[in-house]
Amino acid sequence: MTLLNVCRPTSLAELVAVLRGADPVHLIAGGTDLLVGSRALPDAGRLVDLTALPALRGIDTTGPDIRIGAATTDAEIERHAGLALRYPALVQAAAECGSVQIRNRATLAGNIANAAAAADLIPPLLLAGARIAGLTQGGAECEISLQDYQAGSGMLITTVILPAEGFDPDSAFVKLGPRRDLTIARLNLAVTAQVQDWRLLEPRIVAGALAPRAIPLLRAASVLDAQTLTADLLRAFLDALSAEVDAAIAGRASHGWKRQAIRGLGIDLIARLLKLSNRDPLFDGVM
Amino acid sequence: MGQVGKRLALIDGVEKVTGQVRFAADDAVAGLAHAALLFSPHPHARVLSLDAGKALAMAGVIGVWWHQTTPQNGYNSAIWLAGQQLLADERMFPAVVRHVGDRVAVVLADTEATARAAVGLLEVTYDVLPAILSPEGAQAHAGPTVDADRQPTYLNPVAKAALDHGDVAAAFALASHISETHVTTPRSHHCAIETHVCRAWPEANDRIAIHSPCQSVFAVQAVVAQALGIAADRLHVTKSPIGGSFGGKAEPILDPICAFLAMQTGRVVQLQLSRHETFTATRTRSATEGRMRIALATDGRILGRDVEVTVDIGAYCTGGAYLPGSMLQRMVRLYDVPAERYRGRAVYTNTLPTGAFRGYGSPQIHALGEIALDLAARDAGFDPVALRLRNIVGPAAIDPWQGLNLGNARGADCLRRGAKAFGWETRARLAPGTGRFRRGVGMAAATHINGCFPGDDESTTATLGLQADGGIVLNCALHDLGCGSDTTLAQIAAEVLGLGLQNIRVTPADTDTCTYDLGTRASRMTYIVGEAVRKAALALDQAIRDAAALALNAAPQDLTLQQACVQSARTRISLADLATWLAARNTALPIATQTHRATANPGSFAVHFAEVEVDTLTGRVQVTDYLAAHDIGRAINPMLVEGQIHGGIQIGLGYALYEDVAVDPGTGRLRGDSFARYTLANAPEMSPIRTLLVEKAEPTGPFGAKAVGEIATVPVAPALVNAVNAALGTRLTDLPLLPERIILALQN
Repeated sequence: MTLLNVCRPTSLAELVAVLRGADPVHLIAGGTDLLVGSRALPDAGRLVDLTALPALRGIDTTGPDIRIGAATTDAEIERHAGLALRYPALVQAAAECGSVQIRNRATLAGNIANAAAAADLIPPLLLAGARIAGLTQGGAECEISLQDYQAGSGMLITTVILPAEGFDPDSAFVKLGPRRDLTIARLNLAVTAQVQDWRLLEPRIVAGALAPRAIPLLRAASVLDAQTLTADLLRAFLDALSAEVDAAIAGRASHGWKRQAIRGLGIDLIARLLKLSNRDPLFDGVM
Repeated sequence: MGQVGKRLALIDGVEKVTGQVRFAADDAVAGLAHAALLFSPHPHARVLSLDAGKALAMAGVIGVWWHQTTPQNGYNSAIWLAGQQLLADERMFPAVVRHVGDRVAVVLADTEATARAAVGLLEVTYDVLPAILSPEGAQAHAGPTVDADRQPTYLNPVAKAALDHGDVAAAFALASHISETHVTTPRSHHCAIETHVCRAWPEANDRIAIHSPCQSVFAVQAVVAQALGIAADRLHVTKSPIGGSFGGKAEPILDPICAFLAMQTGRVVQLQLSRHETFTATRTRSATEGRMRIALATDGRILGRDVEVTVDIGAYCTGGAYLPGSMLQRMVRLYDVPAERYRGRAVYTNTLPTGAFRGYGSPQIHALGEIALDLAARDAGFDPVALRLRNIVGPAAIDPWQGLNLGNARGADCLRRGAKAFGWETRARLAPGTGRFRRGVGMAAATHINGCFPGDDESTTATLGLQADGGIVLNCALHDLGCGSDTTLAQIAAEVLGLGLQNIRVTPADTDTCTYDLGTRASRMTYIVGEAVRKAALALDQAIRDAAALALNAAPQDLTLQQACVQSARTRISLADLATWLAARNTALPIATQTHRATANPGSFAVHFAEVEVDTLTGRVQVTDYLAAHDIGRAINPMLVEGQIHGGIQIGLGYALYEDVAVDPGTGRLRGDSFARYTLANAPEMSPIRTLLVEKAEPTGPFGAKAVGEIATVPVAPALVNAVNAALGTRLTDLPLLPERIILALQN
């Protein structure tokens, strides 16, 4: 009775043929969104399993750009030493997605395509100016910036590219959920900057779970730019973070809590960027 | 002592961890038909019509039933004995649905996928009625619960309980400190890993077999008989292995429907809920709001208390009518208070029905009492441990409500020894700090019951018999819920009989082969059933020695059972050889049946100590240290006792900090209806746990043992709330302590 056919292409040519077919196409990689019990599986068309395509796997950090296959799992990102050296924020974010079991299945492009407001990989990817290479519904190759990506547009993501000029080893990611582990972010933050002599040069910050899509926190970042990190500066930074929350979600039930909680998360973010404990004396006078 | 006090592994442990246990839905059965339910999307509505045409047209659909085609007998899913007087206001499929998730119709089909797809094709029209979604609204909707036709109405309160003990007005007039605290507790969900499931099929002689992960086969029989309007002896109920219950499977929810479908169709029928359905269409712990005024003397004596409690029991009575009384019972058994006024009421709302959940009112009332007492101690300048020591009941105390003797009540030992082991005196004096992270310690005491005495059916019958192979079979209506009660009971039998655990075989509960027992509830397995097993084992020991005396030509009193043999100083015979010897002489094998009727209901006591660290910016609470001191009487199996305590703390931690199914006040829908949206404490949230067992024997318990299963979760939430309040200087009293509530309290 089911009209849903499953196929598992092993080459891009085979995949393109499927995409060009007449049947509606539903893509599946790790399945951590599509297969959970609370969601209905599509009942017709072709369910295309992307996990057998070598072209969609792997992390290449050897060139100026970093290239990550779309079906690379969170666990592979979490464990990749080269990536950890060149862009720690993404590795940290991958390490905080779901559980070990989820991270073994969930994929980079799945996190992008599912487009949840609380997606953990999006803030570091946006910070890095990530670009997405893929195939259109007709099977033509295309490449756009993550910023311009629209979930549900029908584009099949094959590779995520972090352009050389976009990311920096001085980067960090932190999140806050209802519990420490295996938790969906109620707030997450990613930062990149050049750290020099207790100053952050050209810092950029992106926040997730504060709006339908992750948003840059330009004002808060500007407070930090090139200034020596003192308690006064950090306090001004935290005030700016609260103001960013006010601007984003004033009137929402979570507003009062998030404008305070982001101060804690802001300290955690700076601490992680500087490789300090969030209990370091630097933060003592900030409250 | 051979077996009692030993850390023995579960008798079904290897079977479980190697996947050999067959749970109710595991066995492939030819011709198995699957049922799926349609649930109400409205909190209160009349079901006007059902068009099943499209569903019935689907290949593989066997039939569709709703209120016009099913028995409309009122029943109460919380009874455990036919004739038990509880408001019978539930219908398998009511004409007027009373909550989101109430049952509208059922589809039976050849596969579960077909049944679920067909449910999606049912077309129903409703006349939506006004709904009461909060207990405040319910109080305004007051009146009798039964109308002139003896039909249940929808008026509140459903039940009340009251106590006026001593001169409360005088107590408050004499007090040097008076404090008043208002506490709310949330609805929480059991979160058993096995979702609700039942199987039923026709048997010979016009009977129906029901195979169900339940807490009492006799309760299933009584409820299904009431719902279907048939004689109970037409129902043959067996207990399947159970993948967790915590009270969530105490009430037969699916069994009446499953049995009905098997009767109608002659098929083997399975009805299994999804995770979402288990959240939204079974039972929760009741939400409560309570107010407690406490009058303290200058020396810390509690002179009087004045307590008002409202229990939101949801859309059907179930056992909710018992809750105001249960909460009162637990409240008055902890401290010696000369004057008490208590008013408890249970109210209907158009929300998911509530039911049994580990502690049955105890976590709610002790949250109120222990948070209120802590704040009173703070206001009056008393140390929380010293204040409790001043007031806690001692051995042989008589409770002022039921007049029961509380037995060898060792709450004071838990307080003293627990405080010492935790380092309370030093740690309670430490300043919480002024930075982002604040530390605090808190503690709470609690008591809980041991069985249902003085309820008139608090008894059980155990049979132990020698088998032809020399093994011993224990037959009793036993319902191990995964806590290890079968193991504990086998240890008791083995201890008396001089055997090892491997010599005892435990039969699962079966209404055809077991004598009546009211089931696994009310912390009665070790204390009540354990004593029946001990008595049966003593009688079997005598019977075996009498039989062996003939075989060995010895006096029975010179014989002892040891290591599966009967022996005297000069001779011995193995139990297997004895069985063979007896059989060869056409002599019955020794068997003993004993009924134990409870004569007491002593208190189990516990005092828990917690250290927390609170992030004052994010509102996150981390439990950093925990010590649980338990008055256990005697630990039959210390490892299982500790397991119960650890699990109790996990549930209590969630109750304090995270868990709330949270009925939306606008729509009546549950917000916490999946594991993604209902936050449980997982492993990283658990702190190191130390347990301290106070083992001073209870004379009426088997080998001195008392219960631990339910009480383990009771003091957890107030201990944690008190620790958070100590860390922050706040007066947080609304559970759970979500980060938002903590931040709001800090800002105020």
